[in-house]
Amino acid sequence: MRQAGERAWLLEWAGDESAANAKARAAAAAVRAAAAPGFLDAVPSARTCLVLGGPGFDASPLAALEADPPAAPPGPAPRAHEIRFTPDGADLDEIASRCGLTPEGFLRAFTGLTYTVGFLGFTPGFAYLYGLPLAFHLPRRPSPRAAVPAGSVALAGPYVGIYPGATPGGWNLVGTTARRLFDLRGDPPFLFSPGDTVRFTA
Amino acid sequence: MTRGLFVVEPGVLSTVQDLGRPGWGAWGVPASGALDEEALRLANRLVGNPPGAAALEITLSGPVFKAVGDVALAVVGGAFGPAPGEVIRVEDGGTLALAAGPGAVRAVVAVAGGVDVPRVLGSRSTCVSARFGGFQGRRLQKGDVVLVGEPVGAPLPGRANVPRPPAGDVTLRAMPGPQEHLFDPEARAAFWAAAWRVLPESNRMGIRLRGESLGFVETSALPSEGTAPGAVQITAEGHPIVLLAERPTTGGYPKIATVASADLGLLARTAPGRIVRFERIPVDEARRLLAEFEASDRAGSAR
Repeated sequence: MRQAGERAWLLEWAGDESAANAKARAAAAAVRAAAAPGFLDAVPSARTCLVLGGPGFDASPLAALEADPPAAPPGPAPRAHEIRFTPDGADLDEIASRCGLTPEGFLRAFTGLTYTVGFLGFTPGFAYLYGLPLAFHLPRRPSPRAAVPAGSVALAGPYVGIYPGATPGGWNLVGTTARRLFDLRGDPPFLFSPGDTVRFTA
Repeated sequence: MTRGLFVVEPGVLSTVQDLGRPGWGAWGVPASGALDEEALRLANRLVGNPPGAAALEITLSGPVFKAVGDVALAVVGGAFGPAPGEVIRVEDGGTLALAAGPGAVRAVVAVAGGVDVPRVLGSRSTCVSARFGGFQGRRLQKGDVVLVGEPVGAPLPGRANVPRPPAGDVTLRAMPGPQEHLFDPEARAAFWAAAWRVLPESNRMGIRLRGESLGFVETSALPSEGTAPGAVQITAEGHPIVLLAERPTTGGYPKIATVASADLGLLARTAPGRIVRFERIPVDEARRLLAEFEASDRAGSAR
């Protein structure tokens, strides 16, 4: 466990990233569910869980949580999502050829997989999904686009992501979806939570 | 009776802020809130509000308001307007221009009764980057009417303000960051020794600094991780960014240091062009500073 501020603790796990992320999610859910006095936030990400406390927060249970994160995290059960999208991404042909496939072949493989929401970040509702085979791990584009279309389904490294709005972005664009990822009129306002599963249909 | 502020001139960046909305980091939602929490608490206390009531954060060029109903307000932080650190009463229809004094970069304008906008995800703060919360999810514009609530407490007499940045270099106390070990000894030494200039490109996400580059930092293998307030990220070009209230919840740049929370308000008050230096302190000392800071704030609230 490392210190990231006076009342900021980083729990960290080595090994395979998606396995480490599952531990980070479980630890974050456990800290959130414990709702200890002074608790402010628990943010899971690729290999870490950042815990932020306020006055009176007791960090002493965190080391044990890092050593042994719960196998079945507390909190709401993960949900299963099906995301319909249009395969109109500007990079689809290039993605397919870098994966050694035709665009049709790539889409068949891409839509045949089940992904897991590892963590969210970058902007409200933006989810990093695990579940891509190694052959589909592509680097970010050498220079980011100033704006990607809202709802872009995109790939970079081990992740699939969906851009909630038109933001700058360096990921490889597969297509677009009309689903809203962050909508304050919705209950809950976020489509995805850490641990949810996602399938894409074209 | 309706009470509020009619925006005659909005200023460069005037937004509604309170203590922010921590707790939504797992969904990618920045905490937001006043960059200068110390100023927010004091300004609210001056006008008789609870310390975390919603107020306006103003930036660089101050706004001009026309009072709707009788309004009492206090400006704390940078020296904006006729009477920083004092309660200003403006009668219905009266105008108040909060022009920036020399070196003023940010201030909090608390209004007796608190700014009355809907709570979104538990807070009235504006998230400028994701366009929600605060006043219609955006900075104030000409013609807006910002409503305020019913005043609850008595305004404080006299004058009180937060410390201004000193003449000369501004020293920020900071503790070692979670990725300090990724920097070679020369880069580490250079970071703590260097004079860093505050860039005008700074915003509510972070204060950008420029100096002698620490050199190229290999970041491609560094996975995203949660960001703490005050974290000092080093960009691939070797320059620091001190992350503030509206920082993205996760980031992939290495963090060489974390500025002590007790000094973040001071940084928010430091104008572009000024020089800052980092003074290394152990985590324990930073924790002691924060506890002292919080105790003095509680004592102030009790007065």
